[in-house]
Amino acid sequence: MKKLFACIVFLIIITTGCKEKYIPAIISATTNYLVVEGFISSGSQPTTITLTRTTRLYDSAIIVYEHNAVVNIESENNQVFPLTENGNGVYISSSLNLNANEKYRLQIKTQDGKEYVSDFLKVKHTPAIDSISWLREDGGLRLYINTHDPQNNTGYYQWKYEETWEVHSAYESSLIYSLDPLTHVVTGIEFRYPVTRAIDTSIIKCWQSNNSTTIILGTSEKLTTDKIYLPLLSIEPASEKLSVLYSIKVSQYALSQEAYKFLQKIKRNTEQLGSLFDPQPSALQGNIHCTTNPAELVVGYIDITEENQQRIFISNSDVPGWNYNTPCKSIVISNNLDSINKYGQNLTPTIPFLSMGANVISFSAANSLFCVDCTVRGTNIRPSFWP
Amino acid sequence: MLKRLVYIIFILLTAYSALAQKTDMAVISGEFKNITAEQFLLQLETQTGFHFYFDASQLDSITINISANSQPLPEVLKLAFLNTGLGFAYTQNNFFISKGQVVQTALPDGSFDKDNIYKNISPQDSDITEDLKIVNSKKNIQPNKLYLIGEQGSSNNQGRNTITGFILDNNTGEPVIGASVHAEKTEIAVVSDQYGYYTISLPKGRHTLSIQSIGMKDTKREIMLNGDGKFNIEMQTQVIALKKVVVSAEKAKNIRSLQMGVQKIDIQTLKQVPVVFGEADILRVVLTLPGVKSVGEASTGLNVRGGSTDQNLILFNDATIYNPSHFFGLFSAFNPEVVKDVELYKGSIPAKYGGRLSSVLEINSREGNKKNITGSAGIGLLTSRLTLEGPLIKDKSSFIIGARTTYADWLLNLLPDQYKNSKAGFYDINVNISHQVNKKNSLYLTAYMSKDNFNLNSDTSYHYGNNNISLKWKHIFNNKLYALVTAGYDNYKYKISSQTNPINAYSLGFDINQSNFKAHLNYFVSSKHTIELGLNNILYKLHPGTYKPLGQQSIVGIDQMQAEQALESAIYVSDKYTITSALSMEAGLRYSMFNVLGPQSFNEYPKGVPKTEDNILGAMAYGKNKFIQTYHGPEVRLSARYAFTNDFSVKAGYNTQRQYIHVLSNTSAMAPTDIWKLSDPNIKPQFGDQVSIGFYKNLKSNTIETSVEVYYKKIKDYLDYKSGAVLVLNHHIETDVINTRGKAYGAEFLIKKITGKLNGWISYTYSRTLLKMDDPTAGEVINKGMYYPANSDKPHDVTFISNYKVNHRFSFSLNATYSTGRPITLPIGRFFYGNSQRTLYADRNANRIPDYFRTDFSMNLEGNHKVHQKTHNSWTVGVYNLTGRKNPYSVYFVSENGVVNGYKLSIFGSPIPFLNFNIKF
Repeated sequence: MKKLFACIVFLIIITTGCKEKYIPAIISATTNYLVVEGFISSGSQPTTITLTRTTRLYDSAIIVYEHNAVVNIESENNQVFPLTENGNGVYISSSLNLNANEKYRLQIKTQDGKEYVSDFLKVKHTPAIDSISWLREDGGLRLYINTHDPQNNTGYYQWKYEETWEVHSAYESSLIYSLDPLTHVVTGIEFRYPVTRAIDTSIIKCWQSNNSTTIILGTSEKLTTDKIYLPLLSIEPASEKLSVLYSIKVSQYALSQEAYKFLQKIKRNTEQLGSLFDPQPSALQGNIHCTTNPAELVVGYIDITEENQQRIFISNSDVPGWNYNTPCKSIVISNNLDSINKYGQNLTPTIPFLSMGANVISFSAANSLFCVDCTVRGTNIRPSFWP
Repeated sequence: MLKRLVYIIFILLTAYSALAQKTDMAVISGEFKNITAEQFLLQLETQTGFHFYFDASQLDSITINISANSQPLPEVLKLAFLNTGLGFAYTQNNFFISKGQVVQTALPDGSFDKDNIYKNISPQDSDITEDLKIVNSKKNIQPNKLYLIGEQGSSNNQGRNTITGFILDNNTGEPVIGASVHAEKTEIAVVSDQYGYYTISLPKGRHTLSIQSIGMKDTKREIMLNGDGKFNIEMQTQVIALKKVVVSAEKAKNIRSLQMGVQKIDIQTLKQVPVVFGEADILRVVLTLPGVKSVGEASTGLNVRGGSTDQNLILFNDATIYNPSHFFGLFSAFNPEVVKDVELYKGSIPAKYGGRLSSVLEINSREGNKKNITGSAGIGLLTSRLTLEGPLIKDKSSFIIGARTTYADWLLNLLPDQYKNSKAGFYDINVNISHQVNKKNSLYLTAYMSKDNFNLNSDTSYHYGNNNISLKWKHIFNNKLYALVTAGYDNYKYKISSQTNPINAYSLGFDINQSNFKAHLNYFVSSKHTIELGLNNILYKLHPGTYKPLGQQSIVGIDQMQAEQALESAIYVSDKYTITSALSMEAGLRYSMFNVLGPQSFNEYPKGVPKTEDNILGAMAYGKNKFIQTYHGPEVRLSARYAFTNDFSVKAGYNTQRQYIHVLSNTSAMAPTDIWKLSDPNIKPQFGDQVSIGFYKNLKSNTIETSVEVYYKKIKDYLDYKSGAVLVLNHHIETDVINTRGKAYGAEFLIKKITGKLNGWISYTYSRTLLKMDDPTAGEVINKGMYYPANSDKPHDVTFISNYKVNHRFSFSLNATYSTGRPITLPIGRFFYGNSQRTLYADRNANRIPDYFRTDFSMNLEGNHKVHQKTHNSWTVGVYNLTGRKNPYSVYFVSENGVVNGYKLSIFGSPIPFLNFNIKF
């Protein structure tokens, strides 16, 4: 339904209306509420809880971390598992292996002396991901998650993903502009490796990655069996992601119904507005409460669950006719300062076009640094999982 | 009765003795068989030598069939003119034969009021109608003629008699609705109802009735009122080609009528107001009236005096329309070609209406042409329409059929490729048949159907539609009493389906069905009292949601919400009492009752704790047709008027209302997928009351109307929603809704010029609508239990509507509207969660979007007005949002790629030209 409404809006925008960036003048108070993100990991993986603070709507700080808090997981039988700060407001426990028949809660004492506790929660088991599949759709590609719970007991799911893809520079490069050390004005060209005059292989192959920034939820509550087949994300046609090799790691979490509702509310408030039929954005109340000041809002919902992951690879050869087209072009420039100044400004030299020994007569230059040096958009360190 | 008879005999005898002066010696003998009255009189002339004066046109349909044997001349004439409507008088040797009015042969001696100054043989009242028929068939309306009504001396009703009848269009035979009948030199004026029927009570004697109506030539009738009688009046349509026409419609109605907070718009005005895409749109014009608001341009949901969009009873010829919009609210679902007029009751709601808190919007469609087959067709940018009307039995029954369809697909084709499979369409069909069985019985059949469907990029497809049928019987018992009996069936349904994901492919259906029965009696006791009474019954059956798998692969489980049944009944009585000519009041009482019927089961909750899922004690099942819960109570409708002068009056009113059916929707705009829910043991009915006072002053001989109306309204148990409420397929909806209280108050100022080359209105409204939810046992208090503005709370609103007629073929219209921006909920802060910055919300509706301002312009160009051409055509050209102001529909923040961005969404953010072509045949 959401989608339709969005489409209608779109239709109207296309024909007559418009959507434009707008910054209303709102006097926003300093809220500084505690934000608790993470889940209590019931298995052998450590529990990671991130503590941050809400900021003003327009604030220079992107994230305000909450440091030096005392964070514990506590069982109904007063068993305590401490978490320690690992820098940047991230608090990590050791491996917990919680008892599935007991209830646990999170306890936080912040630097300013305030205490927060979550409700006591049951341990949730996350089924394994059956598969991550993909289909070619409208020239692009859509990835789907397949999972099921043979016990028909899970019902509510959340997924996060981490994409990684290999990118290659469009041009190899053995040349570089020599710059005046003071003015950074181009003074000519030189070889990157004057001795071997070899190309720089370290900037040809890189890996780019991207983490999910949206909340992805799914439920089988309306289905007869606890089975999920849902689209996770789409890749645009001819995207560079599939120009060589692409990989995605999906993490799956089973949720309680309340946690699902909470996340749904965040999603609705922050990702799904802008249609003609928006529901009202609503206040967020999770299952964490400030015991020192019960009226204080605490953002976050703590669940006890597990993380199950799966990774797949898709290579360019799996998607015939992908047709990735590099935006890179190159021209040939005579190696003299006049030509360089006239044609070569803002270009990146690649290799000699005509040369006599070490003497470059003319050279090719690409239209962007991006076309030559892949480290400007990724890392050239091969990820450990890369085949 | 005997007394009356004696009286008549006495009159006749006295008349006789007066006549018997000379002429009794003239004795007639002979056979007068099958000759015309004219021939008869000529023969008499030869026989007696007396002179006979007559108007041949009055006689030409009358044949004489008598034989006389030495009888006195007056006796012979009396015999001959029996049952013909002719009367006579004489002096000396001259006889004056006339129809209806009898020529006076002498000046009255003494008081002018004496009844017996007219020496006549009074025709029966049925003869008057015969008489009129002859006149009518000749298309010869004779305003200067004197019509006799009633038997002379037939009534001893303190000198007052009642005239009833229909006001008809002499061209088409259609009733003229809302025509005013005013007895000159008196304060007595009445207005014809939706069947063209009127009742007026006047003192005996001679009167001049002045009849006025929109689009009709003013006319007058000289009447001589002797007793109760029927009197049909035909009016001529105003032929626009005339050089000079003065239209004065419903003059001073606002001063004289008892009702306040009532706005009526006829179709001519409706068509003048420029709207987006140029299609005359009833709801958009209603939105320009003071006190009526919507949350935004894409919405046809009306918020009347602070009420919510589900608190309006929308009646289309007595059929309840649940979704009055097409195309997700861009168009209203009423075909302007079949609509006659629209009346909005927002203040004093008559006792005959009930079931909604805020307003009644009554849309009346036209009756078909009773004389000829005619039609019209129109072509616009998005829709085309065709109307056909004509007689089924000439002068007795007629039909009108209107249909509209869209070809908006071209709009969708402008979308990017990924939406290339999109489809959208709608149509609506109206059929009205009216039949006059006889003078006392009429039948009206109305059928309406609308369908909308959407399928954007073959993802999810949407269908919704209204189906309505109703049959009405009007029976006139006598001049003072008539009855209306209506039976009807209304249905609204929608269906959503999606097949993109074969595993989750589903269809979701919703429908609402109601059978209704209404009986209404209108009893015109005297000129001082008019009593209305009646009863209404509605039997509801709702299917609040059926979720089903679609296709073989789908593993969707069937989720069927239990059907809801209920019976809503009401009885009412009201009396319009004219205490003095200045002071009158109307008191109405409506008693409504709502029975929740089995089979249904309801969750039970302990008292005093929030209704949450955890607190459900269990479900209680009830058997078929069992009365599960009954809500009932009185509804008071009071209004009074005091007219200080002919052009200044003060009115006051008090109203209470109960509403048993609610929309479940947590969106600000009315969405087609909103669900209606009946009250049940866990959902209380809404209750509202309103007190209002108004001042009405007309200027420049009633051509300028001004008014100020002030109101204060309270609403109880209005449904609002908990944060993140689930409304669809929720088997325990009571856990997600909360009962709120509301208050609304405001002042509406209106200046309206209704005649002249330049006409239109300007209105200013100050109004507030505030809601409050502070019951901690409901589980969640909103905005800390303080009053907060409702979605439609726009304190200042100025509307200017104008039309200037350059000549009879060319006119242009200019509108302007300004209002405060509507309240919205904006974030109070920001946080980082799930790899992205996100916004934090707290209090509802604490901010406002920027103010709204828009001007529209349109020109109407009519073809030539030669009456006898095959087709008449007209063009409408205009621009919506002339200044191109990007009026925001909403302001919102959304997280995209990890950061928060703020946007302003405007719907019609640029000038939109439009063009419409209409043809009449």
